[in-house]
Amino acid sequence: MLGAVTIRADIERGQQPMILHMPRAHRLSLGNLADLVYVVPALALLGGFLLYPLVYGIGLTLHDGQGADATRFIGLEHFTRAVLGDAVFHRSLLNTILFTGAAVILQTGIGFLLAVLVSGVRRGRTVLLVAFFAPFVLASVAVGAVWKFLYAPFFGVAATIGGALGVEASTIAPLADERTALLAILAAFLWRFTGFTMVVYAAAIRALPREYDDVASLEGASWSQRVRHVTWPLLWPQTFALVLLTTLGTLRIFDMVWVMTAGGPDHATETVATHVYTTAFRFGDVGYAQAMAMILLAVILVLTVVEYRLLNPRAEESSG
Amino acid sequence: MSRLSTVRWSTVLLTVLAGAWLYPVVWTLANAVRRTADVYRPPWDVPWPPAVEQIGVAWERGQLGSALTNSAIVTLLTVAIVLVVSASAAYGLTTLRPPARPVLFVLVLAPLVIPTEVLIVPLFSMYRALGLIDSLPGLALVNAVASVSFATVILAGYFRTIPRDVIDAARVDGAGRMDVLLRVVIPMARPGIAAVALLVAVLTWNDFAGALVLIQDPDAFTVQLALTRFANFYATDQGVTFAGLAIIILPPLLVFLVLQRSFMAGLTGGIVRR
Repeated sequence: MLGAVTIRADIERGQQPMILHMPRAHRLSLGNLADLVYVVPALALLGGFLLYPLVYGIGLTLHDGQGADATRFIGLEHFTRAVLGDAVFHRSLLNTILFTGAAVILQTGIGFLLAVLVSGVRRGRTVLLVAFFAPFVLASVAVGAVWKFLYAPFFGVAATIGGALGVEASTIAPLADERTALLAILAAFLWRFTGFTMVVYAAAIRALPREYDDVASLEGASWSQRVRHVTWPLLWPQTFALVLLTTLGTLRIFDMVWVMTAGGPDHATETVATHVYTTAFRFGDVGYAQAMAMILLAVILVLTVVEYRLLNPRAEESSG
Repeated sequence: MSRLSTVRWSTVLLTVLAGAWLYPVVWTLANAVRRTADVYRPPWDVPWPPAVEQIGVAWERGQLGSALTNSAIVTLLTVAIVLVVSASAAYGLTTLRPPARPVLFVLVLAPLVIPTEVLIVPLFSMYRALGLIDSLPGLALVNAVASVSFATVILAGYFRTIPRDVIDAARVDGAGRMDVLLRVVIPMARPGIAAVALLVAVLTWNDFAGALVLIQDPDAFTVQLALTRFANFYATDQGVTFAGLAIIILPPLLVFLVLQRSFMAGLTGGIVRR
């Protein structure tokens, strides 16, 4: 009956009522076809600006691309060079993975703890959430610039705190020191994004039924026991989504690093994305740069699938 | 008893922490009107009279007038493209049935795992061939691709909450699929659409990687690129640098503060709702 209405509507709008000519069994799938049309603009956008550059990019990796145009076919030579012969690429890959691992664990952990704490607050809950979330809306370029000032030697906040703790202020320059530069960027990164994790968890805690917590409380569970054994497992679907989102958002990290250190000192903060950028747009080696970008894409895909497999089943358990 | 004390202890801790968390923001805003020599004073210590003229200097030096206009154009275009494309896709996806639905959903989610950074080299070649370097609509298209996935997911979440009966009733009354989308679904999902628009606007305003590669003419610079005009932070006038920073972070910050409820609800909606 609904099918008939659809046909009439189609005719009235001057479209060809395709369903009329089809046997009854096919109506459902062709009804689907009309819905399919609504997905076409999205697919066209992705086809032109995602799929095409992806395929074109694969072509680039197989050609020698010194300067502007990639012309000479060289097979997988760029990939062998990246995997076997480029110490900076190895460093950048290691940095990217370590940074992502640390960001995922700390952002999720701190965000969860802050959300649990804020959920116990009766008045001013929203104000607190807004305060922690605010850095999320600031541009990474601005965050990078501001934190660069905070890390400035002698005057910066890091140097002042260090000075108060009795460290020689002139030796405190977190971004200039190879051992601390990546950690310094991580701190700024966590400052920017932990509020997001916190807000998601806080909203989820609010949506939880209170009974679980009350029962556990009646049975004599302490606050920390309730957080560990009641709240945390119940929020596993959110943890699953947040871990995946943070991983995807961090493996691509470029802008904050670019603004704060441009990969230095001595490649200590080089990430795959900054190395790709420098290789392509400073040295004009587009084929090799794209080969490294494709390896990053492979890492992203593999880690996403691994995380999905590892974390997802428990998500079903606790929500089911 | 133990619960009460826990609550108080956590409130105090969170308040102190929130103050520290906001320190860099407040410090930046205060520094917009403090001269270089005063930059490292605590934020509440603003010398009188404040160095308001720095804002004018930053505006001039960073050509922020044209940069703000360019960023506004790119942001509005991106939001418009994403809303049309994602609302349409979300509508199609919520009414579609398997096997088409999961397959298309995966396709629409592809940009989540294929970030702009991975495609920036071929995008540059492609844009150069098409003459789209320095084109603001061109930059908007790249930004739209980056936003279309999560926008579709969030909107589909909102669309799914619309009772099937409402849509069926409209259909029985003779409304076509497009009528249902425009007259029933979109008006009922207005909060979701507002939240998505806000989120896309902030992300696009803050985009750096795409603009860095695809925009080269200083006249087409977005605010994030204009910020790089102040790049040499230690050599230039720091007070002026902070004035520029303040001008650039203020629009998204104000939008967020005014509309924070809608903003945070939209963002968490896609993840919290089952």
